[in-house]
Amino acid sequence: MPLTLAVGAALALGACGSSSSTSSNTTTPSTAAASGSSSSTAPAGGGSTSVQTGNPAAPVTINETGSSLVAPYLAVLAAPLHAKYPNVTLASAAGGSGKGITDALSGTTQAGGTDAYLSNAQASQNPSFENIPVAVSSQSVDYNLPGVTGLKLTGGVLADVYTGKVTTWNDPEIAKLNPGVNLPATKIVPVHRSDSSGDTFLFTGYLTKTSPAWASGPNMNTTVSWPQVNGALTANGNPNMVQTCKSTPGCVAYVGISAQNLANQAGLGQAQLQNAAGQFLVPGPQTVTAAVQAGASSVPDNLAASLIDEPGAQSYPIVNLEYLVVNTKQSSPDMALALRDLFTFAIDPNGGASAALLQPEGFEAVPTQIVGKIDAALAKIQ
Amino acid sequence: MGRALRNRAFFAACGVGLLLVVAPAVALVASVFAKAAPAIGTALFTSPTNGQGGGLENAILGTLLLLVGVLVVAGTIGVGAGVYLAEYAPPRVAGPLRTLSEVLAGVPSIVIGYVGYVTFLQELHWGYSLLGGVLALSVLVLPYIVKTTELAVRQVPTTLREASAALGLTRTTTVGRIVLPTAWPGVISGLIVAMAISQGETAPLLFTAGYLDQRNPSLALLHHDVPYLTYVAFTDTTLPAARAQQLASAAGAMTLVLLLALIFAGRVLARRSRRATARMAL
Amino acid sequence: MATSTLRADRGRARIERARRRSELTPRDRVVRAALGVTGAVPALALVFITYQTLRQAYPSIVFNGAHFFTGRQFSIGNSYGGGTITRHGYHATPGAVFGIGPLIFGTVVSSLIALAVAVPISVGAAILLAERLPSRLQGPLGVFLELLAGIPSVVFGLWGVATFGPLLARDVERHLSDLHIPWLTGSIQHNGQGLLTSALVLALMIIPIIASTTRELVRSVPALTKEGAVALGLTGTESVRLVTLPFIRTGIVAASLLGLARALGETIAVLLISTNASTGYPHSVFAGFSTMAAFIAGELDGAFGDSTGMAVHALAEVGLVILVITLLTNLAGRAITRRLAGPGLPVGRGI
Repeated sequence: MPLTLAVGAALALGACGSSSSTSSNTTTPSTAAASGSSSSTAPAGGGSTSVQTGNPAAPVTINETGSSLVAPYLAVLAAPLHAKYPNVTLASAAGGSGKGITDALSGTTQAGGTDAYLSNAQASQNPSFENIPVAVSSQSVDYNLPGVTGLKLTGGVLADVYTGKVTTWNDPEIAKLNPGVNLPATKIVPVHRSDSSGDTFLFTGYLTKTSPAWASGPNMNTTVSWPQVNGALTANGNPNMVQTCKSTPGCVAYVGISAQNLANQAGLGQAQLQNAAGQFLVPGPQTVTAAVQAGASSVPDNLAASLIDEPGAQSYPIVNLEYLVVNTKQSSPDMALALRDLFTFAIDPNGGASAALLQPEGFEAVPTQIVGKIDAALAKIQ
Repeated sequence: MGRALRNRAFFAACGVGLLLVVAPAVALVASVFAKAAPAIGTALFTSPTNGQGGGLENAILGTLLLLVGVLVVAGTIGVGAGVYLAEYAPPRVAGPLRTLSEVLAGVPSIVIGYVGYVTFLQELHWGYSLLGGVLALSVLVLPYIVKTTELAVRQVPTTLREASAALGLTRTTTVGRIVLPTAWPGVISGLIVAMAISQGETAPLLFTAGYLDQRNPSLALLHHDVPYLTYVAFTDTTLPAARAQQLASAAGAMTLVLLLALIFAGRVLARRSRRATARMAL
Repeated sequence: MATSTLRADRGRARIERARRRSELTPRDRVVRAALGVTGAVPALALVFITYQTLRQAYPSIVFNGAHFFTGRQFSIGNSYGGGTITRHGYHATPGAVFGIGPLIFGTVVSSLIALAVAVPISVGAAILLAERLPSRLQGPLGVFLELLAGIPSVVFGLWGVATFGPLLARDVERHLSDLHIPWLTGSIQHNGQGLLTSALVLALMIIPIIASTTRELVRSVPALTKEGAVALGLTGTESVRLVTLPFIRTGIVAASLLGLARALGETIAVLLISTNASTGYPHSVFAGFSTMAAFIAGELDGAFGDSTGMAVHALAEVGLVILVITLLTNLAGRAITRRLAGPGLPVGRGI
């Protein structure tokens, strides 16, 4: 709490026309200790980190590509960010988490939006890169069974569906979870993403954690080798997942939270997924926040953490941090400054982390417990 | 069955075949324009795409930029190569070069895009760039320009060349001042064909030109993404906003409009070229 | 009477060459050299592309061996686990398996079905147009065919997904499936994505190539020959069957090969309409599938995430395979149609 206030104060004062071009040249090497940047525009509030922010001297454009789950959020972030730091322009595009990571790692873009953190191999091959979260998102499993609401499903059952072991909705495995519900004999049509997708990463992550068969088979990745299931469909992007499911009776699809409105409008049912404590939940502010709080303490310094299947009775199982992958070694101090501006603004409750910006997407704010680690990571961007 | 009956049956079957060609094509064009209709308005041309929809301003400008680039790069190289093959090359050299050029026409566009990525982004570190996109497209359309130029130059009547030689003009003057201007309409229609192909391509550009949202393309050759119409058509259906879906169809419709414009320009020029050559038949 | 001997011929040729050479001024030589450079560019580009593809594919060729062509599963592997596997000196992610059997199958089958559908329709339509159509309609018709040939493949793909596919699924595939013919049954995707829909859209894309070439061919049959058939009292059909078709048969084959080459290399439209299913062979024409070209476009972004790089090399090898196949097909087709270029959009774009 004090950390967030300090960051907020730093930002508020930093926005009032600053000599940031000189301040960005003094480097504060990592550490959360409040060394306080010398000519920084913001006085640090008692003992907490201050990350140098401010309007760059020259206009800077941050190019971003990546996850289609976080893309709508970044699109609405650009205008208030630009208003606060007139020399900073965020140019974002979708393209899939895989592309986001690749473009960032190759230096083609300055930031890569991804639902999936860097793998160990990627991180060790690119030691100067880090993934920094900007928001918390989640994913739901939607289905097309008119008249059936609140269906309960587990990861194990879903894994069986996507491997073709469970083929009809009235299968005993599903009936066991939903006593008293009238399940039709409709054939199940599993839909998966055809593009390299963070949503696939999340969904297969959930399946990997809950189904040993899946873990030893396709496992989790932004693109996996989906087992051949008769009648399975693919879709490119979240809206197409919804569209495909809408026009296919009996379908089941994993949909990122920012597209859940579309799914609701399309009349798809939202499944209740079983979490580690055995409870069946749908994603919502309470259940997502519960998962985030449960997992916040175990987020490592490099911020690469999976929030899938967190313990806790109220924790929704498919929750994740939305990351932007950035290079800590920037070629220009202005760009480094702009990037720090972007992140601090994104997690600022008065800025990007405000309810007005997050809620339409179904996102939640980054937990305050990890803001310190985020600041430490941001300080490394030079 | 009588012969007359068989005759009629055969041509009726051909008619069915024709219908099977015309009907889907008409349906396709109609559905693209129908889906694009809600998006039509001045905003379409004055605002760029912005992830939620917007307009097509940046994509149109980007496509036009790429076309100009292809005209410059593939145009000069292709016309030069065509003239070389028609006028200067000894037969032993011309044959293999011509064959290799035609073989180039058979390379799938995704392979060109992939090689472009490896070369321009990984090895040369250009980032997504206008130059990369232009080069990828140019390689794709080069064989067509070469072939049509060579054909156009060959169709210039020999009498002109002989008269030129009789007057003592050098080869270069002959080619530059007499042959090429005569062949020019044919050459230009080849260039138009090249642009028609280029504006409809996606695969070579996906991995070389990137895409630019929210802003108009700059003239910078390197390190700046270029937006283009086919990308909008390809990806906007994956975006949630309804406006984005309409925009995808609008971008597709835009490419069809551009295509029609180019086809008609080509026809006009072909007619003029035929008239010009006919006039010169001595 | 002076009879030319071989020696005299060669002498004359030598004089001719000398005369031609001496007609070139220094400026001419410079121009010729400069234009020669531009003339070499297409050849150099081709060589470069082949070289790059080979070079990128080489690690995969060594790593995967023959299993590449027979395997039924293409998996990038488990990047989020740890470690690497090594074979023949090259590394890959654990769990990575690169087999493109289903892709080769999908490419060849969809293209062949497309060809089987497109050729009769194109030839029939072209004959009708060339023989029976009033001449004032020939102009607009040419425009129409050029338009069809020039429609971007992404537009075909979007139309296939949004309109044609569902139409096919609803009105054709469902009834076809009820007939219980092997290979024509199976679960139908309600959005029409699948082998049959893709093959039909491919057919629509290659029809203009074959139709316009055939039309030119029919028009090129000497008028005297056609008039002779009329004089003999042959009906239009018999004239076509006995006179025109034998005349243009080779040309039709060549045009078909060009169309086939385009279908084999088609990327974007197939990517949108197929379900991009790369594991296991499809068991019916309604099943999902993928082709090599579409697979590369769809998987490339994800493959870059593989830090060993083997996924990218594997995709490069797929590119190499498709390159070789389409080049051979295209070469065969072009060798025969070289004379038939006309104004307007050319036949055969390898897209």
